[in-house]
Amino acid sequence: MTGSPNALCFGDACPASGAPCHVQVEANGLTISLKAGDGAQHAEAVPFSDIAVSAGGLDHDQLVVKWAGAHGARTLYLKDPEVIRAFRAAAPGHLNQPFEQAAEQVRQVRHRRRVAWGLTGGALIALVLGLWFGSDILVDVAVDRIPVEWEQKLGESAYRDFLAQQQIVKEGPAVAAVGEITQRLATEIPDNPYKFDVTVVRSDVVNAFALPGGYIVVFTGLMKKAESGEEVAGVLSHELNHVLQRHGLERMVKSLGLLAVVSILVGDQQGLIGLMKQVGVELLSLKFGRAQETEADLTGLRLLNWAKIDPAGMIAFFERLSEKDDGRVEWLSTHPMSAGRAERLKTELAGLPKKSPEPFTFQWKAVQESLGAVPKAS
Amino acid sequence: MKSEVLYPGAFPMVRVDLTAGEHIKAESGAMVAASPTIDIESKMEGGFLGALSRKFLTGEKFFFQTLRASRGPGEVLLAPTVPGEIVVLELDGVNEYMVQKDGFLAGADAVKIESQMQSLSRGLLGGEGFFILKISGKGTLILNSFGAIHKIELKPDQEYIVDNSHLVAWSATTSYNIERAASGWVASFTSGEGFVCRFRGPGVVYIQSRNPGGFGNWIRQFIPVSE
Ligand SMILES: [Zn+2]
Repeated sequence: MTGSPNALCFGDACPASGAPCHVQVEANGLTISLKAGDGAQHAEAVPFSDIAVSAGGLDHDQLVVKWAGAHGARTLYLKDPEVIRAFRAAAPGHLNQPFEQAAEQVRQVRHRRRVAWGLTGGALIALVLGLWFGSDILVDVAVDRIPVEWEQKLGESAYRDFLAQQQIVKEGPAVAAVGEITQRLATEIPDNPYKFDVTVVRSDVVNAFALPGGYIVVFTGLMKKAESGEEVAGVLSHELNHVLQRHGLERMVKSLGLLAVVSILVGDQQGLIGLMKQVGVELLSLKFGRAQETEADLTGLRLLNWAKIDPAGMIAFFERLSEKDDGRVEWLSTHPMSAGRAERLKTELAGLPKKSPEPFTFQWKAVQESLGAVPKAS
Repeated sequence: MKSEVLYPGAFPMVRVDLTAGEHIKAESGAMVAASPTIDIESKMEGGFLGALSRKFLTGEKFFFQTLRASRGPGEVLLAPTVPGEIVVLELDGVNEYMVQKDGFLAGADAVKIESQMQSLSRGLLGGEGFFILKISGKGTLILNSFGAIHKIELKPDQEYIVDNSHLVAWSATTSYNIERAASGWVASFTSGEGFVCRFRGPGVVYIQSRNPGGFGNWIRQFIPVSE
């Protein structure tokens, strides 16, 4: 025996759990010695030029060496740091890049593990502190860490699931109008990371919602109830601001609890999705909190003003919604109306710089007629 | 150390022969009978913190027992708590196995046992908890299962899908992903079920022919509910 085994060899004639073998690094290749079935020792010299390396194994922390030898395709799993170091030092240029990639993967695994342990401890401390101060610091920290891409995947998945069961208005004046409103608002948002996607859904419920990542649904019921494009713009501006402030994510993380925080901090998207499934959080029925409503109202109003859309429409619409709640205004069930909402908006509006509103290019009456609505003369 | 599985099948037992001075680790409670030359020591594998973390994180017993033939050679009989097969593996110093927490029965003294934290998604969805045992070192490793043990052999890059509640042990050279069996997680809320592991070779995966959770659910229907 040329030494004790330091690697596992896989391939034809090797057992499925791998044949223990000894790897020796030479000047221009590897010498692999392993015991054959008859107990005799076989040594195979493999030149570096025949070898491909990568990272593999359960934690991607093993060096996988592949080559096509005299006995068919062979794969080695190496873990011994000494051997890996010697191999790396002796290997020629063409292996540098794969080695670097493998090393990077190992570093990532180690880093992630350290972070995970650190965070488990950290999260416990933070939890205690959070309970102590009764604050939402943890939630904010976690939400800040969620990449926009995750948010988009999360939102898009819910959006597609939802739309699959709905009757979508694909084209026509209503779609054009909603598109124009969104466009006017979106161009006024500085450094906007979201690409807003708006769909008009044919339904009599008075509702509109925005999913994390910028996926927005407006129901025709809401468009029929609105008396002007400015009123719809008020709702949309409010919805866009829920997205921009990431209110949906905050609610989600809050209802999922500490595990969600940890999984986000550790960068474990799959874990988060599984957690949502287990806890049964539905993005579509997340109810916003009062503080979030106020925030979305105020920032929504400011956005309207910047976009030169008359903010009076928003205020008038909210006032009407709260007055004549005939139980069909679903929007209010996820965006709770508080007393003095319109008053607060009026006060805020008074403090904003005056801008002369620019009208939309569409005629609101025509838009409503295209939906088959009979605009009420109320 | 020499071992032999007695009464293979649903209710097996393993006999371990120890030479004078030799010792093994066993799950506490696994010992059925022993020669009078054998001493039992309860030892905290991995020190106090290691034992503590195993206790709280894997739900594994706080102590492993050390069975030592301190007064001359002797034999020990070991048996698992649940009905099911016993499998004996030889570790050669380079092989490493991940073992779900109830799968370990006994091991030679040079067999190393560590608790390892899994990635959150694996822990959450895999059903084996956040921590599993990583077993390495040299010598005999004895595993037990619920039901029969079936060995799946995977060639490099060969894939196989396993219901996670049937996992017993798998080589560290395999890798796996947790996948959802069903789709549409947003609208349809179901219980935590429907997760499978997609394994990728090379290596071996040991699975058990019965699922402890499923068995528990089945038996629960026969237990009268007290008012
Ligand atoms: Zn709102």
